[in-house]
Parts: sequence; C-alpha cells; structure tokens
Amino acid sequence: MTIDWRSYDTDGLWDELITANHRARKGAGNLCRVLTNLSDEELTARKTAAELAIRSMGITFTVYTGEGSGSIDREWPFDIVPRLVMKREWDQISAGLQQRVKALNRFIEDVYHEQEIFKDGVVPREYIERSKDYRTECLGVSPKHGVWSHVCGSDLVRDADGQVYVLEDNLRVPSGVSYMLENREVMKRVFPELFDEYVIHPVDDYPAQLKACLRSLTDVRSPQIAVLTPGIYNSAYFEHAYLASAMSAQLVEGSDLFVGKDDVVYMRTIEGMIRVDVIYRRIDDLFLDPEVFDPDSMLGVPGLMRAWRAGNVALANAPGCGVADDKVIYTYVPEIIRYYLQEEPILPNVPSYRCVEKDQRDYVLANLDKLVVKPANESGGYGMMIGPRASKAERDKFSRQILANPRNYMAQPMLSLSTSPTLIDNHVEPRHLDLRPFILSGAKSYVTTGGLTRVAMRKGSIVVNSSQGGGSKDTWVVDLET
Amino acid sequence: MTYTLSSTAQRSYWLGRYLERAENTARLVNVNARLLYDLPKRLPLGWQPLIAITGNQQAFSEYYEEPTEKNVCRFLINDPRNSGSLLSSLEAARENVRTLRGIVPRQTVEYVNEMVLFAKDQLTEPLSRSRRTAGLIEVPKFTQRIDGFMSANMLHNAYWSFFRLGNYLERTDMTSRIMDVGTDNMLEAVTDLEPYADIQWRSVLLSLDATQSYNTEVQEPIQQDSVLDFLLHNERLPRSLAYGVNSIRQNLRGLPRHESSLRIANRIRRKLRDSSFSDAQQARAFLDEIQVDLASLDRAIHRAYFESPANPAAAGKTKRKKSTGA
Repeated sequence: MTIDWRSYDTDGLWDELITANHRARKGAGNLCRVLTNLSDEELTARKTAAELAIRSMGITFTVYTGEGSGSIDREWPFDIVPRLVMKREWDQISAGLQQRVKALNRFIEDVYHEQEIFKDGVVPREYIERSKDYRTECLGVSPKHGVWSHVCGSDLVRDADGQVYVLEDNLRVPSGVSYMLENREVMKRVFPELFDEYVIHPVDDYPAQLKACLRSLTDVRSPQIAVLTPGIYNSAYFEHAYLASAMSAQLVEGSDLFVGKDDVVYMRTIEGMIRVDVIYRRIDDLFLDPEVFDPDSMLGVPGLMRAWRAGNVALANAPGCGVADDKVIYTYVPEIIRYYLQEEPILPNVPSYRCVEKDQRDYVLANLDKLVVKPANESGGYGMMIGPRASKAERDKFSRQILANPRNYMAQPMLSLSTSPTLIDNHVEPRHLDLRPFILSGAKSYVTTGGLTRVAMRKGSIVVNSSQGGGSKDTWVVDLET
Repeated sequence: MTYTLSSTAQRSYWLGRYLERAENTARLVNVNARLLYDLPKRLPLGWQPLIAITGNQQAFSEYYEEPTEKNVCRFLINDPRNSGSLLSSLEAARENVRTLRGIVPRQTVEYVNEMVLFAKDQLTEPLSRSRRTAGLIEVPKFTQRIDGFMSANMLHNAYWSFFRLGNYLERTDMTSRIMDVGTDNMLEAVTDLEPYADIQWRSVLLSLDATQSYNTEVQEPIQQDSVLDFLLHNERLPRSLAYGVNSIRQNLRGLPRHESSLRIANRIRRKLRDSSFSDAQQARAFLDEIQVDLASLDRAIHRAYFESPANPAAAGKTKRKKSTGA
C-alpha cells in the first residue's frame, strides 16, 4: 500500500503539508508527489538507508539511565519526510527572532546595570530578584557588544489556525543545532532526487557563523577558542564534539583549563600552557566555577568568573543570562520588546497567565484541566503539567505547588500543535511538531535557515523532546520565487 | 592553530596501550593452549607462565587457588576484577575512544564498540575451549582493523604519535615478558625429550606471530640463542624489542619537550645493541632490566605531557606491577 493522501486525516488541526481537504499545501505538491510514487519497498529502503546513515555517521544522543548505570548512547531518531517552510514566511519569522533576542539581550544588560526597566515599572523588580538564574556576581559586568546570550534556541509552535507562536526562548545552553546539520546530511544521502525538485536553503554555514560570532567577542586578533563540555556522559556531548570539530576549536573539559594568579585562563597542552580567549561553554552557570558557585562542581574551572569579570576571557553564553530564560519573565517579552526597541513584536507569545498575580492565579487554579502549567526554570519538558491529560491527583498536586510558590509557575492554554506527515510503519500519519531555530548574537546577528524540527513520534503526543521519545525531521526553507 | 590537549593525548596513548594489550592477551592464551595440546601430560608446563607474563601473580593469588586452565583463562579473559583482563582492556579502550571523537576517524569508535559487543557476547563464561579459541582468534582481526583504519585515515599528528607510543610501549613490554617465559627453565628436567627441546622457543615465536619471519631472516633451527638474538635485535620485525624502541624514539622525536623521554629510549636502545648473554639466567636479568626501563619511560612520558605542574594528580591509570619470575 503506497501513500494515499486521501486517507490522511488532519483531524481539524493545522498540518504543515496537507490541507483539511487532503490537498498539498502551496509548495508541498512536489514532495507529496515524490512520496506517493514510492512503493512500500522503496519507502522501507529509504527508511533503512536513513537508519544506516545515522549509524555509520555516528549521530547519537545520550540518555541517562538512572543512578549507577550511568548513560547510554542512542541513535538519533529521524523521520525521512521533511518539513517545509516557505521562504516568505521564514523571512518574517527570522526578523521576529532577531528582534526578540536583541530585546532580551538589552534586558539582561539592563538587569545587571542600571535596571531602568524596574524603575520604569515595566517588569517588577522582585520577579528578577527571586529568579533562580539571577546572579549578583554578574552585576556591573559588561560583555562585549552588550550581548549576554550569544546562542539562543527559541522554540516555535503553530496553532490550529496557522499562527506561529514563540513557546520559549532557551538563552542559556540550547542544544540541537548539530542535529539540524546532520539531518540535512542524512536527507541528501537518502532522498537526493528531492533536491532537484526544490530550491532549498542550505544550513551548513552555521559552524562558520558560530565561529565568527565567538571571534567577535574578543579584541585578540587570532583568538584561541574552546568549547567547554561537561564530558562524554552529557546528553549533548555529541554536539559539543561536533561543533568543536566543525569550528576547529578546542574541545575541553573543566580539568583541561585553569586560571592563573594573573586571572587568565590557560589550557593544559603537551606544548605547555596556552592562553584561552573565548569559551563557548556548554555547562550550566552553577557548575562553571566552584570558587563562586557550587563548590562541589567537578565540571567547572576554579577562578573562571574572576577571569571573566577581569575581561580576560569571553564566555558564551555569559553567566547570568538565564535570568531572561525564566518562564515567568517570558510572559513579559512583548513589553520588553516595546520598552527597549520601541517596536511592536513581530512574533507573538503564547497567551500566558502569571500565577504570582492573584486574579490570573485564580483563573489558572479554576481551569487547571484546560491549561498547561510550567515551572519557571526547567527545560527538556520536565516538571510541567498538561492539564487536559493530567489525572485529578496530578492537578491537585500542581494546585498545591502553585499556591505554595506562585512565583515559580505560569500557565498557558493548551495549543493544538500543528502536525506534519510522518512515516509510521509503511504509511504516513500526522504527528505533532515544533521548530527550534538558533539565533547568534555577537558583533552581528544571524538566524539559522530553518532550525531543528522535533516531532512527537507517539500518536497524539505533544512531547517532542528526544529524551522522552521525540524524533526529528529535516527542515527545508523553500524558495518558490527563484 | 589547535593545540594538543594533555588529557586527550593521554587518552590516545592509553587507547594504544589497551588495544595492544587486548591483542597480545588473546594471542597469548591461544598459543599457550596450542602448545599444551602438543605436550605429554606428565610435563610440568601449564598455565602458570601466563600469569607470570602478564605480571599479575599477586592479583591472581588473591582470587584463585590453582593456576588451572579454567582459572587462568577466566582471570585473563573476562574477570572484571582483573583490570588487565582482555575484557577490561577492551572496555578501557572503549572509554578512551569515546572521548577521542573528532580526533580519531568516526569508524574507529564504531569498530571498538563492535569489538566490545563481540567480546561480551563470545568471551564470557561459561567459556568452553572451542568457544574460547574461536573467540580469541577474532580479537586480533578487530584490533588490526582498527589499527589499519586509524593508520590509513587519521591525521598523523601528535595524537597519532601518542597512540603509536602507547602501542609500542605496550608491545615492547609484552614481547620482553613473553621472552622472559622462554628463558624459564621449567623444561630443564625434560630437555632430554628430543622432540620437546625447543618447544618453549617455538611457542614464543608463535605467540609473536614471528615463526615465518624467523625462518626467513635467521635460517637456523629454532633454539634459544638465535631466537633471543632475533627478538632483541632484528630491526625489521615489528614485534622485536629493537623495532619497538626505534618506533618509540621516532614518535618521540616528533613531539615537543621530548628530551627526558627520549634520553631513556636512547638508553634502552644502546643497552639492546650491546647486549649478549652466555646463559638464560643472564638473559632473564637483562629482560627484567628492560621492563624496568620501559616503566620509567612510561613515567617520563606521563610527567612530560600528561601531568602539568598545576595538576599533579592527572594520571590515575595504574601501571602493571612487575612481578615476573620466581
């Protein structure tokens, strides 16, 4: 049985490729036709070829298997049906993301300096001061270009009416970009003929752009750049190694570095001690420097904050930038954009309720069965409650948690995430997805063309995280006008 | 430019050592078994020499009573309590290669994984003779494939030099230990048994895969003096001491700050060149001395490259104890 779009049921949701009356969306026709022309055997062969490519390219992610047993490498889950985004729509999204990250960086700079936004009453000061990512150690530090979050990964979702929203901004240490790059490589091996059908914008200049961004963070002419990883057991180690290699930067662990009495960061090499100018750190703030933060951290480098504050090393992303990555601060982003840029937000936020404000909290508590409740500072989909799918006991638990610590929660209506055709066994079914583009900010800013599309492989599920059974797709920004 | 990280260089070095150690252990066990099948049962030779070769007498006695075939094979092949066992070496190799992504070719990581999976499948208890033999024959195929792939595809930079240093240090050490056993006088009482007179030396050559090379280069019957001379001095045999030390010297010369290590390697080379013995006793004393020198070369390499002054406790890998003989 080959693919039959007439039996593809979009179920009243927005599908990225197929309309409610089973027709290909504008631009998706060629892709749908190529898929339809494949026999069952050919489809299976392509799927197997993709799995083989992923294995032989060594594209893995690491899953924690609990205490004691440590972690295991899994092959990266990949669906061979690409997700299309039209160039015209993408240009708009890209402009919206740049605007957003620019405003967020202005906000972080302000938080650690004059704090005008509090004085002007736009964002309440206590929200920040109670944020667990607010770091007094960062007060008064001035990273180059006033940029704190150099690499941002924002999660985009599309609702049933086709509107794209920003679901969250990952300003600290977002991961996934290497999979975006590798997905394209796999796709070229598996479906080379599709690349004749479309003008697909390339994604492979990201490592060069990242390197240029990191270089712009120092005045040193040929800076020594290092990627600081927590090590091989980190779930994103594959990406750390990938990016270091693609940028020809040094991949280092904390123990490879040390800070001298001169507040300069050095790397231990067989040639001797070599000065490091820029560190793309993939370690959370609290593990960065045992002298300042967690004294038991084995991952960090004692004295790193000293060196950073002295201006002897650039850290990307800067410590403390997570203050704008807080899900309660998220609810203020439209105001933040208006405040710093005097512009209207190009990309909307998902409508959100702040549990800390009484009337909004009352609404949330009364409507827990309709809302998604998120803690202020978790990532990877952990610690949240999807109201319509939660049991009464879970809702009661969250109700108590919200009342105990309202600052730590916000709630959003449950969006009907868009779907895209996904190969399940030998046919296509709609599966929910999101999109994580990456935004670089240094001397200049840059947005990836497309990003990482994550797809929930289980029917009806909206959990796209690879740590919880999500898969991925290649994302094509397609230009129909050239 | 990118620099060579001390920690990564250290892992490359240990990858080289562990792969070589695994291969040598596999060869050794199979060759010993073959040798024993040929001997009359009344001869005293058995599995004890293998424990002596690998320098693990103390650990072995801690866990086992008798050096029976079963006990020795278990200890050398899959006993997790023995950090020098074949399986422990392979797992250590895998740990090291995981952190060398981006340094070694992608396939290397894959091949090492395959090898570990194979060994865990084929070389765990209960291990019958036939299963053991068949499994062990595969190990050098895996290691040689990894070696060949790295050699042909990896950048021959400093990390490569450290990998080769690890290979040759381990190999030279192992060759000298195997020769040690050849010089053992266990068969003295039975040398009148004409067909078995040179059997120890035949087995030494076999375990080094050097019988054919010996026949080509030496063209003399297999006997103590000429085998010793061949394995010590022949510069064309990749498993001879002379070849190993030359390779070590060559790899060191390409590295910065090699003075102290190279000095020791040169000293070993001179000793080898000037060596000659009148009896097995002298030969054994000499080989023991070479093993001590190799251990100090290993320490010099660690000091120069892996342990920076600000990080004195970097190393952490244990060197096998020297406890051969007696």
